[in-house]
Amino acid sequence: MHLKMFVLSASAVALWLAPLTALDKKISWHKAVQGVSLCAGIACAVKASDIARKLAEEAEIEVIKERAITADVVDEISTSAYVSQQQRQQEAELMLTSPGVDVEASRQALEAIYDNDLQDSASTSDSPDYLVYLEVCKSKESGKSPTWIIENILKMGGRKFTDGKAKLEALMNQFGGGK
Amino acid sequence: MRAMYLANYFIAGCIASSLLGWIASLHPMAFRAIAFLLATAAVAWVMCWLLDYSLSQLLKISVPHLQALLVSSWTMILIGLGVFLCT
Repeated sequence: MHLKMFVLSASAVALWLAPLTALDKKISWHKAVQGVSLCAGIACAVKASDIARKLAEEAEIEVIKERAITADVVDEISTSAYVSQQQRQQEAELMLTSPGVDVEASRQALEAIYDNDLQDSASTSDSPDYLVYLEVCKSKESGKSPTWIIENILKMGGRKFTDGKAKLEALMNQFGGGK
Repeated sequence: MRAMYLANYFIAGCIASSLLGWIASLHPMAFRAIAFLLATAAVAWVMCWLLDYSLSQLLKISVPHLQALLVSSWTMILIGLGVFLCT
């Protein structure tokens, strides 16, 4: 298309200037050739400008396409950057909040160790019966009778009372050292 | 490409002006007709310069574009007729 346009442009200029300079205006057929040549020159110039206009429009469309592609790429990159930024922010928030959890867990662990030290029985703190034993001790300190303890704390009244009594003795032997 | 597009239209205008000169050289009546046409075009050209702001709104183009169009049309006629008369 480019070659065609340049050839048509050159032809237009040649068809305009060559007959006017080379041919004699006084000879009738020379004059006729000049007229035909000028008409052909106009046609060539108009056709060349039409091709140039089409090429210019295509170039503009290509530029618009490139701009659209560039805008898409930039949008995609910015979106991914935004997502990664969000992820990093969430990770940072998790990192900021997780030490607090650790402190709480550490505090609870320290409290448990402290309580165990007070009771002087750190090895039995993991046992579920130990809490029952602590409640039994508290009840005894508040003056409750063994029967009340068996019925209300061990929940073994009635037919299970004998078993409850045996369990209470076992608890006292296990954690209280036979007190 | 846009420059080539405008340049080719400019060449076409120059060749058309030469063609008008060629038509004028064919017969005295043709000469008078072309002279009348050119005189009318000259009056219209001057009127366009005087009414450029109104015309730019009417044609929906900017004033600089209209002025460039008028200058280029004057140049085309001048070059085309000059080439025809000088050769």
